[in-house]
Amino acid sequence: MTLRISDLVNAEASLVSRRCWSDPDVYALEKRGIFGRSWLFLGHESQISNPGDFVQAYMAETPIILSRGTDARIYANVNSCTHRGLPVCRADHGNTKRFICPYHNWSYSVEGDLVAIPQEGALCNKPDKAQLGLKRVSRVESWRGLVFGCFDEQIEPLESYLGDMRFYLDAFLDRFAGGIEFLGAPHRWVINANWKLPVENQLGDVNHGAFLHSAIIPREAQDLIEELGLSVVPRPGHGATFRLMPEDSPVDDMAWGMEGLGGMFGGDEVQEYLREIQAQAASRVGDIRARMKGLTYGIYPNLSFLWSNTSFKVSHPRGPGKVEYWSWAVVPADAPDHIKKILRTNYSSFFGPGGILEQEDSEVWIQQFQGSNIDYADDRPYYYGLGLGEEKVHPELPGLVSVTANEFYARHFYARWRDELQAVEDT
Amino acid sequence: MSELSLQTTPEQQRALERFYHYEARLLDARQYQQWLTLVSPDIRYLMPSRVNVMVDNRQRGKESMISVERELEGEDSLGCPIREESYLHLMVRVERAFKINSWSENPPARTRRIVGNVELMAQEGDALSVLSNFHLYYARPGNADCIYSGQRRDLLVPAEQGYSISRREVVMDYANIEVPTLGLLL
Repeated sequence: MTLRISDLVNAEASLVSRRCWSDPDVYALEKRGIFGRSWLFLGHESQISNPGDFVQAYMAETPIILSRGTDARIYANVNSCTHRGLPVCRADHGNTKRFICPYHNWSYSVEGDLVAIPQEGALCNKPDKAQLGLKRVSRVESWRGLVFGCFDEQIEPLESYLGDMRFYLDAFLDRFAGGIEFLGAPHRWVINANWKLPVENQLGDVNHGAFLHSAIIPREAQDLIEELGLSVVPRPGHGATFRLMPEDSPVDDMAWGMEGLGGMFGGDEVQEYLREIQAQAASRVGDIRARMKGLTYGIYPNLSFLWSNTSFKVSHPRGPGKVEYWSWAVVPADAPDHIKKILRTNYSSFFGPGGILEQEDSEVWIQQFQGSNIDYADDRPYYYGLGLGEEKVHPELPGLVSVTANEFYARHFYARWRDELQAVEDT
Repeated sequence: MSELSLQTTPEQQRALERFYHYEARLLDARQYQQWLTLVSPDIRYLMPSRVNVMVDNRQRGKESMISVERELEGEDSLGCPIREESYLHLMVRVERAFKINSWSENPPARTRRIVGNVELMAQEGDALSVLSNFHLYYARPGNADCIYSGQRRDLLVPAEQGYSISRREVVMDYANIEVPTLGLLL
């Protein structure tokens, strides 16, 4: 292609071309250079706790079955029959012994091995079934119950890929003695936007709150977020934002879950439950992480974690101009059922396809994608220079740290994105 | 709910339809503050999530095999319904609509609802269980127009303006959600 990636993102990634979000050639490169070579989120172990359990997932546009084998190990296979390509799994989740293709009934085990070809009884030459299983995802690893897959056999281990992002994820995940649980099938909705737009929003863009969401978030609340808020890049491409609460903060100001509508209006029992989790936080995750009150996180390339409203989200591309956005409510696994039902509304009241707040965000991503298609303005790349060079190391927090107005989280993301695409553009 | 609806008098049927037509007109005219007066302060406003479920082999040949109910992750499930709201949520939504910075409704959507198939299914004391279907045409500048389709399962109690809605469960017909928001007043 005539377009060069080096023309799209400048050296310090403070200027990013509109074509990054709109050009079909860029998207074709992303499929190879980003989605072909990164750890991509598949699901959570709580969704497949028993042998035979499965959920559907995607790695970019590739449909995946994530399953628990009869040997209790986790498997990820491409959901496409080796015979004629149909999906062999149609349900969002369930438990099964076999995945069966509707066309000619080729049957696969829950591990993805081909176990039956109905036609072979009539034939002399039997196909070698061992060679005809579902296409397996090259690498599957999990950390703290979060399961990722990668198409590239050579990728670094998941733990080093996450790097210091683990420190920030643990501030939430390790608060709960029983771990976390993903509730039900994901909410999935289609947005006419580029996949990187939802990602960037959750990666560190805290400061749009005062403006885009001013119909819902009062100015004083947003001021407090910005005053106590920190933005961290633990490794380029990942990001974490949170409020570091003062040591003498009242427990109700500090505790996770209290600021959602479920926590606020769900009754005394829920609030006591949340206070109890906060009371154990320092002994579980240490003093400084116990004082973290999360906002949003991003894990490169397309997984987001909205800590404040407790939801994991994946931005699955469907071409340069379409996203299938998936999100799950997340709760402590050992909470009583009636408390889980209240806590899930901390997510669904404000976020998801019916959320009061998120409708503004998806509107913006659609319009931003439309703006990115204005080729007459190709000489007006988007400005990502706010706070250039102002991020610093911190005595207690790993990575680079700054105020939330600093756009360094996005510069690091697009610099990594640029470098990874450059590595494949001539291959 | 495989039974016929209750025998109603023409007056009772007319009263229910009159109420739903009035409600639809208020919503299409964006008179949300007046709409809120049709809602009981203790309302449960629900929208289950809709899931692609496995066929249960043991149910083969029975209507239960492909029942709509199996696809719903509602308030009693341990899935995640799309909406589980109280009067407070609806009040926030209504207030939001009248702020100039509620950007996804600036300019506001043009909508037209058709409500039909009104069936009185049960009566317990004053409270009426009523089913109705709706189609809603939705158009917003900058977005493709779309159709919302669904069923409402209401609990109504008699009130000054005909009835008051004390419970509403909206079962949306979607596979993937392709509409801009499910946060409308439906």
